[in-house]
Amino acid sequence: MDPQQPEPVSYICGDCGAENTLKPGDVIQCRECGYRILYKKRTRRIVQYEAR
Amino acid sequence: MASKAKNPDYAALRELFRPHIDSFDYFLDEGLEKALLSIRPAEIADPSTGSKLRISFEKPHVLPPMREGRLSEPLFPFECRQARTTYKGEFRVDVAFQYDGGVVVRESFNFGHLPIMLKSKLCHLRGADPQKLVFHKEEATEMGGYFICNGLERLGRLLIIQKSNYPMGMVRKSFRARGAGYSDKAVVMRCVREDQSSVSLKLYYLQNGSARLGFWIRGREFLLPVGIVLKALIDTSDREIFVSLTCCYNDKYQREKGVVGTQLIGERAQIILDEVRTLSLLTRLQCLKHIGEYFQPVMDGFESESHETVAEAVLRDYIFVHLSNNHDKFNLLIFILQKLYALVDQTAAPDNPDALQNQEVLLPGHLVTIYVKEKLQDWLSKSRRLIQEEITKDKSFELKNLNHIKKILNRNSGSVGRAVESMIKLGRLNTASGLDLPQREGMTIQAERLNYCRFIAHFRSVHRGASFAKMRTTSVRKLLPESWGFLCPVHTPDGEPCGLLNHMTSTCCVASFYSSDGKIKDFLKIRMSILTVLVGIGMTPLTPKLERAGPPEVLHVLLDGCVVGSIASGKVEKAVAHLRSLKLFAVSGIPEDLEVGYVPLSLGGAYPGLYLYSNPARFIRPVRNLSHSSNGSQSIELIGPFEQAFMEIRCPDGGDGGRKESFPATHEEIHPTSILSVVANLTPWSDHNQSPRNMYQCQMAKQTMGFSSQALKFRADVKSYHLQTPQTPIVRTRTYSKYCIDEFPTGTNAIVAVLAYSGYDMEDAMILNKSSVERGMCRGHIYQTETIDLAKKLDRGDRVLEIFARSNDRKMKSSIDSDGLPYIGETIHPNEPWYSTYNTLTSVTKPTTLKGSEPVIIDYVAVDGTSSKNYMQKVNIRTRRTRNPIIGDKFSSRHGQKGVCSQLWPDIDMPFSAVTGMRPDLIINPHAFPSRMTIGMLLESIAAKGGSLHGKFIDATPFATSKDANQDNPSKPYSVVDELGPLLASHGFNYHGVEVLYSGVFGTELTCEIFIGPVYYQRLRHMVSDKFQVRSTGTVDQITRQPIGGRKRGGGIRFGEMERDAMLAHGAAYLLHDRLHSCSDYHIADVCSNCGSVLTATTIQPQKRAVREILGLPPARAPKSFTCHACETSKGMETVAMPYVFKYLAAELAAMNIKMELRLSNSAKATE
Repeated sequence: MDPQQPEPVSYICGDCGAENTLKPGDVIQCRECGYRILYKKRTRRIVQYEAR
Repeated sequence: MASKAKNPDYAALRELFRPHIDSFDYFLDEGLEKALLSIRPAEIADPSTGSKLRISFEKPHVLPPMREGRLSEPLFPFECRQARTTYKGEFRVDVAFQYDGGVVVRESFNFGHLPIMLKSKLCHLRGADPQKLVFHKEEATEMGGYFICNGLERLGRLLIIQKSNYPMGMVRKSFRARGAGYSDKAVVMRCVREDQSSVSLKLYYLQNGSARLGFWIRGREFLLPVGIVLKALIDTSDREIFVSLTCCYNDKYQREKGVVGTQLIGERAQIILDEVRTLSLLTRLQCLKHIGEYFQPVMDGFESESHETVAEAVLRDYIFVHLSNNHDKFNLLIFILQKLYALVDQTAAPDNPDALQNQEVLLPGHLVTIYVKEKLQDWLSKSRRLIQEEITKDKSFELKNLNHIKKILNRNSGSVGRAVESMIKLGRLNTASGLDLPQREGMTIQAERLNYCRFIAHFRSVHRGASFAKMRTTSVRKLLPESWGFLCPVHTPDGEPCGLLNHMTSTCCVASFYSSDGKIKDFLKIRMSILTVLVGIGMTPLTPKLERAGPPEVLHVLLDGCVVGSIASGKVEKAVAHLRSLKLFAVSGIPEDLEVGYVPLSLGGAYPGLYLYSNPARFIRPVRNLSHSSNGSQSIELIGPFEQAFMEIRCPDGGDGGRKESFPATHEEIHPTSILSVVANLTPWSDHNQSPRNMYQCQMAKQTMGFSSQALKFRADVKSYHLQTPQTPIVRTRTYSKYCIDEFPTGTNAIVAVLAYSGYDMEDAMILNKSSVERGMCRGHIYQTETIDLAKKLDRGDRVLEIFARSNDRKMKSSIDSDGLPYIGETIHPNEPWYSTYNTLTSVTKPTTLKGSEPVIIDYVAVDGTSSKNYMQKVNIRTRRTRNPIIGDKFSSRHGQKGVCSQLWPDIDMPFSAVTGMRPDLIINPHAFPSRMTIGMLLESIAAKGGSLHGKFIDATPFATSKDANQDNPSKPYSVVDELGPLLASHGFNYHGVEVLYSGVFGTELTCEIFIGPVYYQRLRHMVSDKFQVRSTGTVDQITRQPIGGRKRGGGIRFGEMERDAMLAHGAAYLLHDRLHSCSDYHIADVCSNCGSVLTATTIQPQKRAVREILGLPPARAPKSFTCHACETSKGMETVAMPYVFKYLAAELAAMNIKMELRLSNSAKATE
């Protein structure tokens, strides 16, 4: 993997709830409503291995 | 519509926060404008041209909080909390410029931003219904009343200050230190202007019979002979002063009830007049000139004025500032002199400054008003100085050039907003004058949302003042009868702030600038209508001189600290009753919160008079006026602490408060619980508990883990505790539903067996049922938010841009996402990296590891683009730590019965009920009851059992039963148990709440019946996981090599002298050696037996030898050999075990030229 091109990460707008995909260096702003506080999406990775 | 009806009504809750919001509304509505108008315009003259510039303030504008940037969109509090910014609105003032009395040029100046109180008139959440509040990511119950500064919620602390505009007689030893001849007696008056700024005035009594008027200007007290002030105020004659002063003495009355004057007053009046005459000040003009000459150097901006103008300004700005008319001031000064002499002659008692009767409260809005006023004043005088400097420095500077002047003024205009913000942020007043306030620090506190009780209690708390905390005397902390009904006797912390930090009762409120219909009160109009009413009921108005009589014949009437007339002592009681009845009707023009302080005639008691107060910031509370009790709600009268002391109020507490028949009650308490604060009111049947237990419960209610917030998802508190499975209590007081505590419940209904079982419940330990805990009882979480602002680092100096990024290292990829931030929902263990930053200069990616000792789960990651242009710079990461109950966690019932979990006992081993088979959730020891006498807890257990069987909530309002019982049948003794027992019996349970239990271990019946039932248990925030401290070895101090202190750094706990004594007494020498030596600074020192020094040992470099490696074993270390540096021989080097500090001591002594010598010997020789 190229260090200059990390994969983009999805964020959810704190106001309208739209999903935004940002790359490093992108402006932190919702593309739909212009709100500037974004929340990260929950990971799709398995977070618990042991299912007892 | 059905859902609408279900919506709980939060009006009662909002009422609790009203003093804060009302005071800030007043600041926005009127206070600011009033303050600006009272600032004296600055005048600057250009000596070369002779032109004059006058700068004055006109209209202020405070704008609602707006988002930064081009789009002016409203800024909501949620964003401020999330982005760690301040909820503030722009502050503009119209500044007027006028040249030589010509045309006025107005210019709007930006004075920075003022923090805006939530739910005040400029807040966007004002008047929002629950739906709208939830839409804006707030609690449905959001009450406001606080500021948001840097994302922290801070509120103004309510401080107790001296009652305004009331002359208070005081005896204090420190008054003698004012100078030679001063006595310890004075009358002190805190005079308050309409904009709430105040000047305290003291009238000292001198030993020779005269008096001095003292007041403070910029940190220095000025003392004026009272005669000069009297003469300077109005054109008067010596005779007039003499007659006015002596009018309160009449030789008709000797030592009778209500006589305040003595014949000494004539001589004293003579002395006062003589004093002025010896200074050869005969006319008013001469007195004014004398004062003016004296004060010219200290009055700012009066350098070129005449002495008379200066004196007028002194009289206006420092002497009785609450009055504008000099005749009123003269009359008041005469009245105060009479009071002072009565105090000296002991015909009137001194007032108690610690009693609530003579106190009122400083509200946050009023504090902001006077603070802004002073800051603007400072700005104006600073601007004046700057312009004058410019005139002298720069020859080409023209005063006429307005643009240039504006440029100068604009330089420091933002400082006003910044000063107010920092005052709220730090709670520190940065003033030169002190603003006539008792303290400069601790003016604001943080509103912690640990649980709802704590949050509410912050807004209801009233502090006596920081200066009293250091005092050794306890008299200020005493619970005085004057605070009855205003301050809660139960809700005060025990320990250091005991009695200084009080809480308002649930019904207590503070008089505000707003009448009940929400309009600003017009005090001028109110005073006029009060005056007309007074004259109508027999008061003789005085115009303009004081009435030539005094008590006991007539009583002086003071309205807001102004002597308005006198009323015959025979008529006064009727007049008071009439005024009180007019208070009940809005149409009368008499404000409902008027304080009718009628101090009756007495022998050597309080100085008699009729003191009326309509001013804001007084405590008020509702009681029922019995003379109007038939008209229902119209009979509720608001009374203040000053008048309460002289009123006859009945309390239906069962014993009628110990009242006597000879004083018929005129008023009645609405409910006995109105003497308790909101938190104290939540304790069920607190009237059945011992009083200190209720105090402990008030403390513990505020430390409980509760349902922290309904908007938890949107909160960014630095730390918040959250109870996952709260329940509503079965047994509750009326207050519980009135204030909607159900929105934020704080505990669990646990089945409690009172039983000594297994010995693990000794000494307030308690046994929890392991299965109950596993089913979710008392489960909690701690949420912590960390704000990482890389831009802040940038500002701090190192101008290197850092961004969030992940390195390509495989190890890092486990827990950090490609944006350098953690994955949501991931568990991160201590010392694992959780975010990483990339330094653009060095191209190094640096991971940051997690601190602490517990694994955390990433709850949310919020990236904030409000401050930075493009790169991701500011991030809030909220982590969550699970806190299930474990051994060592603290729990408490609502009756001050706290305990620590000692075992999580398996369900199968718990005792079980013979009939229902139920196992208790919790076992406490019966020894918890006899000495603590918390009968309320036993009642709660029975009641909750009955209530859960019947499926209904039980009302446990204290005093309720005694009140009801008194009405139906006063003779019959009444017991709550008689009401609750049948509830149980109807379902076949034992009348007294006991059950037959079987041992869970042996399966045998327990030999006695066990008291078992549900009790509402709170989980306190003190948890072992935050407190345990354990170490055998670890980090040591660099110098002494002893273990360091502090839990965070992995330090140890001191094993002190007493612990050592215990070990010695047990003969546990080996353990002692282990603790104090092996686990501490154990050291093997090389000592030279020749010279006896510990310090001279030096190593000799061993010759390089081929170290043979033996398979599987580490290479053998070559033995180090030592030589004594002083003796230059390695002979006689011995190794001795000793504490390292000993060696250090030797080194320290050597530095002081003291040689320490050890005489080494074998133990056999040592005995020689």
